[in-house]
Amino acid sequence: MAHAAQVGLQDATSPIMEELITFHDHALMIIFLICFLVLYALFLTLTTKLTNTNISDAQEMETVWTILPAIILVLIALPSLRILYMTDEVNDPSLTIKSIGHQWYWTYEYTDYGGLIFNSYMLPPLFLEPGDLRLLDVDNRMVLPIEAPIRMMITSQDVLHSWAVPTLGLKTDAIPGRLNQTTFTATRPGVYYGQCSEICGANHSFMPIVLELIPLKIFEMGPVFTL
Amino acid sequence: MAAPPEPGEPEERKLLGFLDVENTPCARHSILYGSLGSVVAGFGHFLFTSRIRRSCDVGVGGFILVTLGCWFHCRYNYAKQRIQERIAREEIKKKILYEGTHLDPERKHNGSSSN
Repeated sequence: MAHAAQVGLQDATSPIMEELITFHDHALMIIFLICFLVLYALFLTLTTKLTNTNISDAQEMETVWTILPAIILVLIALPSLRILYMTDEVNDPSLTIKSIGHQWYWTYEYTDYGGLIFNSYMLPPLFLEPGDLRLLDVDNRMVLPIEAPIRMMITSQDVLHSWAVPTLGLKTDAIPGRLNQTTFTATRPGVYYGQCSEICGANHSFMPIVLELIPLKIFEMGPVFTL
Repeated sequence: MAAPPEPGEPEERKLLGFLDVENTPCARHSILYGSLGSVVAGFGHFLFTSRIRRSCDVGVGGFILVTLGCWFHCRYNYAKQRIQERIAREEIKKKILYEGTHLDPERKHNGSSSN
Protein backbone atom coordinates (compact mmCIF):
# COMPACT_ATOMS: atom_id res chain seq x y z
CA MET A 1 0.00 0.00 0.00
CA ALA A 2 1.03 3.63 -0.27
CA HIS A 3 2.71 5.28 2.72
CA ALA A 4 1.58 8.68 4.00
CA ALA A 5 2.11 11.57 1.56
CA GLN A 6 3.47 9.21 -1.09
CA VAL A 7 3.56 10.78 -4.54
CA GLY A 8 5.49 8.19 -6.55
CA LEU A 9 4.43 4.78 -7.82
CA GLN A 10 4.20 1.81 -5.49
CA ASP A 11 6.72 -1.04 -5.77
CA ALA A 12 5.88 -3.45 -8.56
CA THR A 13 4.25 -6.79 -7.86
CA SER A 14 3.87 -7.85 -11.47
CA PRO A 15 6.12 -7.77 -14.56
CA ILE A 16 3.81 -5.26 -16.27
CA MET A 17 4.12 -2.85 -13.36
CA GLU A 18 7.91 -3.19 -13.51
CA GLU A 19 7.75 -2.19 -17.17
CA LEU A 20 5.46 0.72 -16.33
CA ILE A 21 7.88 1.97 -13.67
CA THR A 22 10.76 1.71 -16.16
CA PHE A 23 8.77 3.69 -18.72
CA HIS A 24 7.80 6.25 -16.07
CA ASP A 25 11.49 6.78 -15.19
CA HIS A 26 12.34 7.14 -18.90
CA ALA A 27 9.60 9.72 -19.54
CA LEU A 28 10.47 11.61 -16.35
CA MET A 29 14.12 12.00 -17.36
CA ILE A 30 13.04 13.46 -20.72
CA ILE A 31 10.60 15.78 -18.96
CA PHE A 32 13.34 16.88 -16.54
CA LEU A 33 15.70 17.78 -19.39
CA ILE A 34 13.00 19.72 -21.23
CA CYS A 35 12.12 21.61 -18.04
CA PHE A 36 15.79 22.39 -17.52
CA LEU A 37 16.07 23.77 -21.06
CA VAL A 38 12.91 25.86 -20.67
CA LEU A 39 14.12 27.25 -17.33
CA TYR A 40 17.40 28.22 -18.94
CA ALA A 41 15.59 29.91 -21.85
CA LEU A 42 13.40 31.76 -19.37
CA PHE A 43 16.44 32.90 -17.42
CA LEU A 44 18.06 34.20 -20.61
CA THR A 45 14.89 36.02 -21.61
CA LEU A 46 14.63 37.73 -18.24
CA THR A 47 18.28 38.79 -18.08
CA THR A 48 19.01 39.88 -21.65
CA LYS A 49 19.86 43.46 -22.51
CA LEU A 50 19.09 42.88 -26.20
CA THR A 51 15.82 44.26 -27.44
CA ASN A 52 14.99 43.91 -31.12
CA THR A 53 11.41 44.35 -32.16
CA ASN A 54 12.03 43.64 -35.86
CA ILE A 55 12.78 39.91 -35.81
CA SER A 56 10.74 38.23 -38.50
CA ASP A 57 12.73 35.25 -39.85
CA ALA A 58 14.34 32.40 -37.97
CA GLN A 59 14.12 29.51 -40.39
CA GLU A 60 16.86 27.37 -38.86
CA MET A 61 15.53 27.76 -35.33
CA GLU A 62 12.00 26.96 -36.47
CA THR A 63 13.23 23.82 -38.23
CA VAL A 64 15.05 22.70 -35.09
CA TRP A 65 12.14 23.33 -32.76
CA THR A 66 9.83 21.38 -35.03
CA ILE A 67 11.98 18.34 -35.69
CA LEU A 68 13.41 17.98 -32.19
CA PRO A 69 10.03 17.68 -30.41
CA ALA A 70 8.94 15.15 -33.05
CA ILE A 71 12.01 13.03 -32.28
CA ILE A 72 11.36 13.35 -28.55
CA LEU A 73 7.76 12.23 -29.03
CA VAL A 74 8.88 9.19 -30.99
CA LEU A 75 11.36 8.32 -28.21
CA ILE A 76 8.48 8.40 -25.74
CA ALA A 77 5.86 6.75 -27.96
CA LEU A 78 7.85 3.62 -28.90
CA PRO A 79 8.28 2.21 -25.37
CA SER A 80 4.76 3.35 -24.54
CA LEU A 81 3.21 1.37 -27.40
CA ARG A 82 5.33 -1.64 -26.54
CA ILE A 83 3.93 -1.71 -23.01
CA LEU A 84 0.41 -0.99 -24.26
CA TYR A 85 0.43 -4.12 -26.41
CA MET A 86 2.10 -6.09 -23.64
CA THR A 87 -0.80 -5.33 -21.30
CA ASP A 88 -3.21 -6.77 -23.88
CA GLU A 89 -1.49 -10.15 -24.04
CA VAL A 90 -3.45 -13.03 -22.54
CA ASN A 91 -1.00 -15.75 -21.45
CA ASP A 92 -3.22 -18.82 -20.97
CA PRO A 93 -4.66 -17.91 -17.56
CA SER A 94 -4.83 -20.61 -14.88
CA LEU A 95 -7.74 -19.02 -13.07
CA THR A 96 -10.62 -16.76 -14.01
CA ILE A 97 -12.31 -14.58 -11.41
CA LYS A 98 -15.26 -12.30 -11.86
CA SER A 99 -15.40 -9.01 -10.04
CA ILE A 100 -18.72 -7.19 -9.91
CA GLY A 101 -19.01 -3.64 -8.67
CA HIS A 102 -21.98 -2.54 -6.63
CA GLN A 103 -22.84 0.56 -4.68
CA TRP A 104 -20.71 0.31 -2.56
CA TYR A 105 -18.93 -3.04 -2.37
CA TRP A 106 -17.37 -5.64 -4.63
CA THR A 107 -18.55 -9.18 -5.32
CA TYR A 108 -16.00 -11.81 -6.30
CA GLU A 109 -16.91 -15.05 -8.05
CA TYR A 110 -14.55 -18.01 -8.19
CA THR A 111 -16.49 -20.27 -10.52
CA ASP A 112 -13.67 -22.29 -12.12
CA TYR A 113 -13.61 -24.96 -9.43
CA GLY A 114 -16.98 -24.72 -7.74
CA GLY A 115 -19.34 -21.87 -7.04
CA LEU A 116 -17.63 -19.61 -4.52
CA ILE A 117 -19.21 -16.17 -4.49
CA PHE A 118 -18.74 -13.58 -1.77
CA ASN A 119 -19.04 -9.88 -1.10
CA SER A 120 -16.22 -7.65 0.03
CA TYR A 121 -17.26 -4.70 2.15
CA MET A 122 -14.98 -2.10 3.68
CA LEU A 123 -14.53 -2.61 7.43
CA PRO A 124 -16.30 0.25 9.21
CA PRO A 125 -14.02 2.11 11.67
CA LEU A 126 -15.87 0.67 14.65
CA PHE A 127 -15.04 -2.87 13.50
CA LEU A 128 -11.33 -2.33 12.99
CA GLU A 129 -8.88 -4.49 14.95
CA PRO A 130 -5.53 -3.01 16.11
CA GLY A 131 -3.23 -3.00 13.08
CA ASP A 132 -6.05 -2.83 10.52
CA LEU A 133 -5.93 -0.07 7.97
CA ARG A 134 -8.71 2.51 8.15
CA LEU A 135 -10.73 2.84 4.90
CA LEU A 136 -8.64 0.10 3.25
CA ASP A 137 -9.27 -3.19 5.01
CA VAL A 138 -12.25 -5.33 4.05
CA ASP A 139 -14.19 -8.15 5.66
CA ASN A 140 -13.40 -10.71 2.92
CA ARG A 141 -10.20 -10.38 0.96
CA MET A 142 -9.72 -11.77 -2.52
CA VAL A 143 -7.20 -14.60 -2.13
CA LEU A 144 -5.10 -15.49 -5.17
CA PRO A 145 -1.99 -17.53 -5.99
CA ILE A 146 1.30 -15.95 -7.03
CA GLU A 147 3.23 -16.87 -10.19
CA ALA A 148 0.08 -18.00 -11.97
CA PRO A 149 -1.57 -15.99 -14.75
CA ILE A 150 -4.98 -14.84 -13.56
CA ARG A 151 -7.80 -13.45 -15.64
CA MET A 152 -10.18 -10.92 -14.08
CA MET A 153 -13.58 -10.32 -15.68
CA ILE A 154 -14.91 -7.05 -14.39
CA THR A 155 -18.38 -5.64 -14.62
CA SER A 156 -20.88 -3.68 -12.62
CA GLN A 157 -24.38 -4.28 -11.43
CA ASP A 158 -25.44 -0.63 -11.20
CA VAL A 159 -23.25 2.39 -12.03
CA LEU A 160 -19.69 2.81 -13.28
CA HIS A 161 -16.94 1.63 -10.96
CA SER A 162 -13.28 0.88 -11.58
CA TRP A 163 -11.29 -2.01 -10.18
CA ALA A 164 -7.77 -0.79 -9.48
CA VAL A 165 -4.73 -2.25 -7.74
CA PRO A 166 -1.77 0.12 -8.25
CA THR A 167 0.98 -2.27 -7.24
CA LEU A 168 -0.08 -4.71 -9.96
CA GLY A 169 -0.47 -1.93 -12.52
CA LEU A 170 -4.18 -2.67 -12.91
CA LYS A 171 -7.10 -0.38 -13.43
CA THR A 172 -10.13 -1.60 -15.32
CA ASP A 173 -13.52 0.05 -15.54
CA ALA A 174 -16.55 -1.83 -14.30
CA ILE A 175 -19.31 -0.92 -16.72
CA PRO A 176 -22.89 -2.18 -16.38
CA GLY A 177 -23.82 -4.42 -19.28
CA ARG A 178 -20.21 -4.96 -20.33
CA LEU A 179 -17.51 -7.45 -19.37
CA ASN A 180 -13.98 -6.08 -19.30
CA GLN A 181 -11.05 -8.42 -19.09
CA THR A 182 -7.64 -7.91 -17.55
CA THR A 183 -4.90 -10.41 -16.81
CA PHE A 184 -1.97 -10.33 -14.45
CA THR A 185 0.70 -12.49 -12.86
CA ALA A 186 1.79 -11.58 -9.34
CA THR A 187 5.45 -12.20 -8.53
CA ARG A 188 5.52 -11.94 -4.76
CA PRO A 189 3.19 -12.82 -1.90
CA GLY A 190 1.60 -10.22 0.33
CA VAL A 191 -1.50 -8.14 0.93
CA TYR A 192 -2.14 -5.44 -1.64
CA TYR A 193 -4.67 -2.67 -1.63
CA GLY A 194 -6.60 -0.71 -4.18
CA GLN A 195 -9.60 1.57 -4.25
CA CYS A 196 -12.56 2.15 -6.55
CA SER A 197 -11.36 4.52 -9.25
CA GLU A 198 -14.56 5.76 -10.87
CA ILE A 199 -16.95 8.09 -9.09
CA CYS A 200 -19.97 6.05 -8.16
CA GLY A 201 -21.89 7.86 -5.49
CA ALA A 202 -21.70 8.86 -1.85
CA ASN A 203 -19.47 5.99 -0.72
CA HIS A 204 -17.19 5.86 -3.74
CA SER A 205 -14.16 6.31 -1.44
CA PHE A 206 -15.31 3.50 0.83
CA MET A 207 -15.27 0.42 -1.37
CA PRO A 208 -11.64 -0.75 -1.35
CA ILE A 209 -10.11 -3.79 -3.00
CA VAL A 210 -7.80 -6.09 -1.04
CA LEU A 211 -5.81 -8.89 -2.62
CA GLU A 212 -4.13 -11.52 -0.50
CA LEU A 213 -1.52 -13.20 -2.69
CA ILE A 214 -0.25 -16.53 -1.39
CA PRO A 215 2.04 -19.27 -2.73
CA LEU A 216 0.36 -21.62 -5.18
CA LYS A 217 0.90 -24.67 -2.95
CA ILE A 218 -1.01 -23.05 -0.11
CA PHE A 219 -3.71 -21.78 -2.47
CA GLU A 220 -4.23 -25.31 -3.81
CA MET A 221 -4.81 -26.57 -0.27
CA GLY A 222 -8.02 -24.65 -0.42
CA PRO A 223 -8.05 -21.78 2.11
CA VAL A 224 -10.24 -19.79 -0.29
CA PHE A 225 -12.88 -22.45 -0.47
CA THR A 226 -13.38 -22.87 3.26
CA LEU A 227 -15.29 -19.60 3.60
CA MET B 1 10.65 3.63 -4.40
CA ALA B 2 7.34 3.18 -2.57
CA ALA B 3 8.16 2.66 1.10
CA PRO B 4 9.33 5.55 3.27
CA PRO B 5 13.16 5.56 3.47
CA GLU B 6 14.47 3.34 6.25
CA PRO B 7 17.48 4.43 8.39
CA GLY B 8 20.11 2.67 6.25
CA GLU B 9 18.68 3.69 2.88
CA PRO B 10 19.47 6.90 0.94
CA GLU B 11 16.89 9.67 1.37
CA GLU B 12 14.82 10.88 -1.56
CA ARG B 13 16.47 13.73 -3.39
CA LYS B 14 14.27 15.22 -6.09
CA LEU B 15 15.76 17.49 -8.75
CA LEU B 16 13.36 20.29 -9.77
CA GLY B 17 10.97 18.77 -7.25
CA PHE B 18 10.13 15.61 -9.18
CA LEU B 19 13.12 13.61 -10.44
CA ASP B 20 14.15 11.25 -7.64
CA VAL B 21 17.85 10.75 -8.46
CA GLU B 22 18.57 8.50 -5.48
CA ASN B 23 15.96 5.83 -6.13
CA THR B 24 15.71 5.91 -9.94
CA PRO B 25 18.27 3.51 -11.48
CA CYS B 26 20.84 5.33 -13.67
CA ALA B 27 19.48 8.82 -12.85
CA ARG B 28 22.24 9.91 -10.46
CA HIS B 29 24.95 8.49 -12.72
CA SER B 30 23.53 10.27 -15.80
CA ILE B 31 23.05 13.63 -14.06
CA LEU B 32 26.59 13.55 -12.62
CA TYR B 33 28.17 12.72 -15.97
CA GLY B 34 25.94 15.32 -17.60
CA SER B 35 27.15 17.96 -15.15
CA LEU B 36 30.75 17.01 -15.81
CA GLY B 37 30.16 17.12 -19.57
CA SER B 38 28.46 20.49 -19.22
CA VAL B 39 31.40 21.98 -17.30
CA VAL B 40 33.96 20.53 -19.71
CA ALA B 41 32.09 21.67 -22.82
CA GLY B 42 31.23 25.12 -21.47
CA PHE B 43 34.62 25.85 -19.99
CA GLY B 44 36.42 24.42 -23.02
CA HIS B 45 34.36 26.61 -25.35
CA PHE B 46 35.10 29.66 -23.23
CA LEU B 47 38.85 28.94 -23.26
CA PHE B 48 38.82 28.86 -27.06
CA THR B 49 36.43 31.73 -27.74
CA SER B 50 36.21 33.91 -24.60
CA ARG B 51 32.48 34.29 -25.25
CA ILE B 52 30.64 33.92 -21.96
CA ARG B 53 27.09 33.79 -23.16
CA ARG B 54 27.72 31.35 -25.97
CA SER B 55 29.81 29.17 -23.61
CA CYS B 56 26.86 28.98 -21.22
CA ASP B 57 24.65 27.89 -24.11
CA VAL B 58 27.20 25.22 -25.06
CA GLY B 59 27.34 24.13 -21.42
CA VAL B 60 23.59 23.68 -21.23
CA GLY B 61 23.53 21.86 -24.55
CA GLY B 62 26.38 19.66 -23.37
CA PHE B 63 24.54 18.84 -20.17
CA ILE B 64 21.43 17.77 -22.05
CA LEU B 65 23.29 15.69 -24.64
CA VAL B 66 25.67 13.97 -22.20
CA THR B 67 22.86 13.25 -19.73
CA LEU B 68 20.68 11.75 -22.45
CA GLY B 69 23.54 9.71 -23.85
CA CYS B 70 24.56 8.31 -20.44
CA TRP B 71 20.91 7.70 -19.58
CA PHE B 72 20.16 5.61 -22.67
CA HIS B 73 23.43 3.69 -22.39
CA CYS B 74 22.90 2.92 -18.71
CA ARG B 75 19.22 1.99 -19.14
CA TYR B 76 20.06 -0.34 -22.02
CA ASN B 77 22.63 -2.16 -19.87
CA TYR B 78 20.20 -2.18 -16.93
CA ALA B 79 17.53 -3.77 -19.10
CA LYS B 80 20.00 -6.42 -20.32
CA GLN B 81 21.00 -7.11 -16.71
CA ARG B 82 17.36 -7.50 -15.63
CA ILE B 83 16.76 -10.01 -18.41
CA GLN B 84 19.85 -11.98 -17.40
CA GLU B 85 18.74 -11.92 -13.74
CA ARG B 86 15.30 -13.20 -14.72
CA ILE B 87 16.80 -16.03 -16.80
CA ALA B 88 19.16 -16.95 -13.95
CA ARG B 89 16.27 -16.92 -11.46
CA GLU B 90 14.19 -19.21 -13.68
CA GLU B 91 17.10 -21.60 -14.21
CA ILE B 92 17.80 -21.80 -10.47
CA LYS B 93 14.13 -22.48 -9.82
CA LYS B 94 14.08 -25.18 -12.51
CA LYS B 95 17.22 -26.78 -11.11
CA ILE B 96 15.76 -26.91 -7.62
CA LEU B 97 12.49 -28.36 -8.91
CA TYR B 98 13.92 -30.96 -11.25
CA GLU B 99 17.19 -31.96 -9.56
CA GLY B 100 17.53 -35.74 -9.50
CA THR B 101 14.66 -36.30 -11.94
CA HIS B 102 14.79 -37.14 -15.64
CA LEU B 103 14.04 -33.49 -16.37
CA ASP B 104 17.20 -32.27 -14.63
CA PRO B 105 18.93 -29.98 -17.17
CA GLU B 106 22.37 -30.91 -15.79
CA ARG B 107 21.70 -34.60 -16.30
CA LYS B 108 20.63 -33.98 -19.89
CA HIS B 109 23.74 -31.87 -20.50
CA ASN B 110 26.10 -34.47 -18.90
CA GLY B 111 24.38 -37.25 -20.81
CA SER B 112 24.84 -35.52 -24.17
CA SER B 113 28.50 -34.61 -23.45
CA SER B 114 29.40 -38.22 -22.42
CA ASN B 115 27.78 -39.52 -25.68
